[in-house]
Amino acid sequence: MESIEVLVAHIQGLSRSPDEVSHLHSLLKQSEDALRSHAARLAPFLSQLDPSIHTLGYLFLLEAYSSGSISGEEASGFLLTVVEFINSCSAEQIQLAPEKFISVCKSFKDQVMQLGVPMQGIAPLWMAVRKLQTSTEQLTTLHSDYLLLCLLAKCYKAGLSILDDDIFEVDHPRDHFLYCYYGGMINIGLKRFEKALACLHNVVTAPMTTLNAICVEAYKKYILVSLILNGQVPSFPKYTSSAAHRNLKNYTQPYVDLANFYASGKFSELEACIQTNQEKFLSDSNLGLVKQVLSSLYKRNIQRLTQTYLTLSLQDIANVAQLNNPKEAEMHVLQMIQDGEIFATINQKDGMVSFHEDPEQYKSCGMTEHIDFSIQRLMALSKKLSSLDDNLSCDPQYLSKVGKERQKFDFDEFDSVSHKFM
Amino acid sequence: MDLSPIQKDLASKCYSAVADTCDDLMLKLASRGIRYQDEWPFAIHLLGHVFANDLNSARFLWKSIPLEIKESRPEIVAVWKIGQCLWTRDYAGVYDAIRGFDWSAEITAMVVAFSENYTKKMFQMLNSAYSTISVTDVAHFLGMSEDRAIDYALQHGWKLDSSCKMVIVKKPKTVTERKLDPSKLQRLTEYVFHLEH
Repeated sequence: MESIEVLVAHIQGLSRSPDEVSHLHSLLKQSEDALRSHAARLAPFLSQLDPSIHTLGYLFLLEAYSSGSISGEEASGFLLTVVEFINSCSAEQIQLAPEKFISVCKSFKDQVMQLGVPMQGIAPLWMAVRKLQTSTEQLTTLHSDYLLLCLLAKCYKAGLSILDDDIFEVDHPRDHFLYCYYGGMINIGLKRFEKALACLHNVVTAPMTTLNAICVEAYKKYILVSLILNGQVPSFPKYTSSAAHRNLKNYTQPYVDLANFYASGKFSELEACIQTNQEKFLSDSNLGLVKQVLSSLYKRNIQRLTQTYLTLSLQDIANVAQLNNPKEAEMHVLQMIQDGEIFATINQKDGMVSFHEDPEQYKSCGMTEHIDFSIQRLMALSKKLSSLDDNLSCDPQYLSKVGKERQKFDFDEFDSVSHKFM
Repeated sequence: MDLSPIQKDLASKCYSAVADTCDDLMLKLASRGIRYQDEWPFAIHLLGHVFANDLNSARFLWKSIPLEIKESRPEIVAVWKIGQCLWTRDYAGVYDAIRGFDWSAEITAMVVAFSENYTKKMFQMLNSAYSTISVTDVAHFLGMSEDRAIDYALQHGWKLDSSCKMVIVKKPKTVTERKLDPSKLQRLTEYVFHLEH
């Protein structure tokens, strides 16, 4: 216990300047084992420290405390301590020991989930992500934990503030898989199906040597969202890993069958397929999405009509789309016009619907702004890619590999590789 | 519990901001482990989401409200009824839900604002979706009596064909801005430069 008091005194004394802090850091690293062994008794020492000034020391003590078991009565106190810490800690000092910070946040998340209060963790974890990140382009391990809490608390909108950041740096592949999968689920919950598809696409086409469970679940949702959005499931792009390419369909057979029945356009066949596989869809928690796929079939059938007809009677639409009467057809068409899924006008007097072309002429100021914005983003992305490419071509590992394979090619072809790396 | 940010939004009639303000404040209170549910203005929070047409968030919020609170505060249920009608596209049901409840003083102004907004949106929808439509349906979509509906339609330039009780829709001329300014030239130069290199 003495050593802990000495340590606390050091923390209080050595937290003013960056040099003092790095000295403190080495002292703390040496005392890690001592701290762990006294984990249960560290709580009162925490109250002697100020988390905003003594962040690093506080972090080490808190991490040691959370690594021990926390009893039921202590749990809510622990949660409040961590929340206070995250809100007031200094980001620079956190960056010196990021793994400890992550460990504290993970214990926090586990406690929050165990106590069944995921909403309590959302605001603090958001702050934690922002303080841990070196830039908004970096993906941290905490991103997926944050999204998980948003999903559990059903605060889907809260997830958007993190999801809308563009990520360019990923440290651990597992973070990326979970982040994109949960991101897909949040977007599905908010019915932002294009964004959901993009997230799930990232999971399915990520580099991997063997298939993992996250990828399988993501592919199931990918099929369903593709059907809802586009009416078909695209084939795997060239850059998909061979592990995914060869094995994904084997693990998701009921969903592949569903996609095939959907393509036939027949409501009754699709319904039958859903009935047969209902247990499977339910156990995968995908039944809600599957029902949305079913109701999207009406829309798909009506959309197909716009490609063939200029005008059509409501009765004919009802027949083709397998609806009960013209009034139902009118309501469906109205809904689709409201949602911008088709361009049409209903003429109640004659009971006819006229289909139009998209009236957007891309000439207005608003549209120009939108196009400008997209082009700017593309240019920024292109610059990023070129700099990544430049960095890679200077990488010694890459150069030595290219140099070794040089014997296979003619000397004239790869002159750019320096002889040094042969 | 300090609910002043929400009161501020209501006082300044920034109804579209209410949902975000409520979300942020709720998460902050939750993070402190405070049991906020008893005093939380769920009705205003729900109506905020409905006002912003964010029915998904409204649904999730409704699901998270504890049962005892739903049972003891009928105003929350009444707001949810509006959201439900919007979700199931029961266009006329929305008006019934708005009129079928005696709203408290706090929330009345917001309900009225929502109702006016909704009527305008419905009218725009009819404008874009129909070339001719029966008077009964117009009244149904706008939540008005047939006579009032005819007046409203005629005011906006529609024509009435009284023989078959149909209204002929006149789409308003949309003026889209097309002026270009010099900064666009700068941007075009940047694009060409980028493409060349």
